Amino acid sequence: MQRNQLRFVFTKRLGIIVGILLILLTIVILKFFFLQVIKHNYFQQKATNNSIKLIPIAPARGLILDRHNKVLAENKLVYNLELDPTIKHDFEGIQKHLKSIAPIEDADVAQFHKITKENYYSSTVPIKSNLSQREVASFLARQYLMENISLVGRLERFYPFNEYGSHVVGYINRINKEDIKQLQRKKKFSLYKGTDHIGKTGVEQMFQDSIHGAPGFKKIEVDAKGRVIRTIEVQDPKHGDNLQLTIDIDLQKIAVEAFQGEKGALIAMDPNNGEILAYVSQPDFNPNLFVNGIDHKNWGRLNNDKSKPMLDRVIRGIYPPGSTLKPFIALAALENNLRKPPYTIFDPGYFTMPNGSKTFRDWKREGHGEVDLIKAIAVSCDTFFYGLGLELGIVKMNNTLRAFGFGEQTGVDMLNEKKGLLADEEWKKNNRGKRWFAGETVITAIGQGYTQVTPIQLAHATAKIAVANKYKTPHLRLDKSSPLQEYDVMSVMPRHDDLMQFIKKGMEDVTAPGGTAAFLANNHYKIAAKTGTAQVFGLKGGEYIEEDLPDHLKDHALLIAYAPANKPQLAIAIVVEHGGSGGSTAGPIAKKVFDYYLQKSQ
Amino acid sequence: MIINNLKNLGSRIDQTIFACLMVILVVGLVTLYSADHSQTNEFISQVANITLGLIGLFVMSNTKPKIIFSYTPFIFIAGLILLIWVKFFGLESNGAQRWIDIGILKFQPSELMKLAIPLTLAWFYQNNESNITVQSHVIASIILGIPFYLILTQPDLGTALMISFSAFAIIFSAGLTRKFIISSSLLLLISSPFLWHSLEKYQQSRILNLLDPFQDALGAGYQTIQSLIALGSGGLIGKGWMNSTQTQLNFLPEATTDFIFAVYSEEFGFIGVLAILSVYIIFLLRLSFMASRMQDTFSRLTTLGIIVSIFSGVLVNLGMISGLLPIVGAPLPFFSYGGTSMVVSLVSIGIIMSLYSHKSLIAN
Repeated sequence: MQRNQLRFVFTKRLGIIVGILLILLTIVILKFFFLQVIKHNYFQQKATNNSIKLIPIAPARGLILDRHNKVLAENKLVYNLELDPTIKHDFEGIQKHLKSIAPIEDADVAQFHKITKENYYSSTVPIKSNLSQREVASFLARQYLMENISLVGRLERFYPFNEYGSHVVGYINRINKEDIKQLQRKKKFSLYKGTDHIGKTGVEQMFQDSIHGAPGFKKIEVDAKGRVIRTIEVQDPKHGDNLQLTIDIDLQKIAVEAFQGEKGALIAMDPNNGEILAYVSQPDFNPNLFVNGIDHKNWGRLNNDKSKPMLDRVIRGIYPPGSTLKPFIALAALENNLRKPPYTIFDPGYFTMPNGSKTFRDWKREGHGEVDLIKAIAVSCDTFFYGLGLELGIVKMNNTLRAFGFGEQTGVDMLNEKKGLLADEEWKKNNRGKRWFAGETVITAIGQGYTQVTPIQLAHATAKIAVANKYKTPHLRLDKSSPLQEYDVMSVMPRHDDLMQFIKKGMEDVTAPGGTAAFLANNHYKIAAKTGTAQVFGLKGGEYIEEDLPDHLKDHALLIAYAPANKPQLAIAIVVEHGGSGGSTAGPIAKKVFDYYLQKSQ
Repeated sequence: MIINNLKNLGSRIDQTIFACLMVILVVGLVTLYSADHSQTNEFISQVANITLGLIGLFVMSNTKPKIIFSYTPFIFIAGLILLIWVKFFGLESNGAQRWIDIGILKFQPSELMKLAIPLTLAWFYQNNESNITVQSHVIASIILGIPFYLILTQPDLGTALMISFSAFAIIFSAGLTRKFIISSSLLLLISSPFLWHSLEKYQQSRILNLLDPFQDALGAGYQTIQSLIALGSGGLIGKGWMNSTQTQLNFLPEATTDFIFAVYSEEFGFIGVLAILSVYIIFLLRLSFMASRMQDTFSRLTTLGIIVSIFSGVLVNLGMISGLLPIVGAPLPFFSYGGTSMVVSLVSIGIIMSLYSHKSLIAN
């Protein structure tokens, strides 16, 4: 090729190459334009997401106090060793490493796995909780060896009275999947950012929202390795409100100890204002076990225990009321113009149906002789009530019982309260598919049959007898400012004081000589009461001899009472499961509670 | 006397090229200052690189083309020896063996090849000027092939591609017939599946990631994503010097070397990008004009080779950070931190200035 020709080819092809380079540069510039101008907002957001993080600050949970400001639930600063559950850990290595510093048991590792599998966690999860000062110090000295393990200070719930408040105060536990679902449904999950615990039972659950508060946040800038560069903004959390209860923890202790290991429930309330002073369900448990997720062993122990320590018997235990129902049945009769004193009957020790089809025995084989309504309550005469029941009929009986709150929730500020049962013809048809027998009306009048009540219903109804017409719903949150009627959710039918006097007299005579709880008589104050014995075991024609029966077939002992009779200050209801006859086991418990409360306040 | 000599030295400097260079170098340094927040003194080191490079530029611009021409084979052979040396004794970093450590500084022989290949091919075609046949192109391809293979297996796909672009441009412009161009293009197309298989796994995944970088956001796509975020969040006017969050908070990888232009884009925005790329384009046009005025094959082809080598570097780098091309590891010429690249690029410009100002290889 000639020189000139070469130069010509070169110039032409140089042009082509430079042209290609310019076209490619233009494409690059267009791509930059697309990214930087058209998609700017999108990438701006991505850049912000990269570097700006919101760290939630959990609110401190409100304290729970008793009526005299004694702390029932508080927050204790504890130090935990915690791990990030999102990364893999060599647990054996960690255990070996920490052996001489803060030994980690296999159970701790199992617990860590349980929490991370079943629960929600906002950050790190404890592998060892509640380190001693010595453990903290020796960990800090060798921390540099253990990058993945962090020492975390946390405010942990602590129940200083342990078992004493277990059912009423309740406990908190780690948030689980079910809790998350519920919180999301209530659109409250955002309030739980940074929080790992939630109230599960008792007032911890009932007043969860106000005790919890609302989280704050810290807006921070982080680098690519997640290190904090600076804090941009801090909004403090709104700490939870303290909750003051009507409970008197000293009275509660007296009541719990009075049970001496028996199973059952006790409710003591001020009938004048509905404030619950003692709320006992036995057996109980230590709520502190639950705070960091209860371990398998304790959970199994509490749940497999046949005596059901986890059951709140006060609002969820349902019992046949036995003879404690008699004062209310008596009032039903008076309201329907039946059996008004001085009307008497003769009790031969049994009641026979008018058509002679069936005979019902009195608890006293030889009978009580001449009995009026007052005496019938005092001696708990079954025969008197058999005839009365039959004449009154199930509908009228139930109407009066309903007015005293039976068959309905009392409205106490606790969740999942049971309703109990007031059975009638319709109920039996719907639930048992059978017709109602007149004999069933007869036994309902002495509190047997299908009728079922909760201890709190009994206390509630007793308070209504004690201070008829100015009655307040039983409650646990102490709120001095709220007026009387605010709690009065029940429409109380006007009780005629003149009729009520007979009932009160009958109950006062229960503790008088000859009454079923005469031993409750004392020189300091007068107790009005009614004992009851609820059959657990159906005696099919057999004899009931208490000593011969195994414990779980023994009758439940019940007692309702208020005192002082002339100016009631305390109304109580007691159930002692398999406690035999009412007065003998429930009576001494009532006595201790009254003694403490009435003598203290004098 | 001395002043006169200095004046003479300066007379070989092309003013347009020098002005463009100074703008790019200064902006590059300003950006590096912001990107090098980890205080590893890369800024100071880069000033030294530039100084060394500019001295090289002055020296080369005053070196007669004849001398450059006659030293070319030695440069090529020295480059090859260094590449083989690096293969056996080189320093390894990030899974690639690219560096030779000679005491006080590290040296990257593949960068030298960006100059050595254009020189050598131009030298070869100059020598066979009177009789350029298909055979000459085959020999030229072999001259390219040996360093290409050595660099590709370091592995350094980016540099390997750039030297081959430069070499193809030279072969193409040296008088390749149209028939040959078409048939070799077809051959390349057919062999592309085999080329694909000869790539390393990570190189394949980088190419695949280009299609959807967000699919593997924490893996191979991470660098691309962070770079796109840097560019996009910079917007039209940028976040301001030293204010780039992507860079200052370390989200952007290789912020001083391969991704330095992402830092620039984040801080100075699209307007800044347009301004600096205009300078690069003026630079390209001026170099091309100079190439078109050269009288002999050696000068023309050398200049063209260097132009393509530099601007394919620019394109691959910008394509890479804007997500048009896979991450192959290519510095932005005159801008990225790196000694060998900076010195070799400046020396190359010095050679072009010499070739241009002396007009003819033969005359002088």
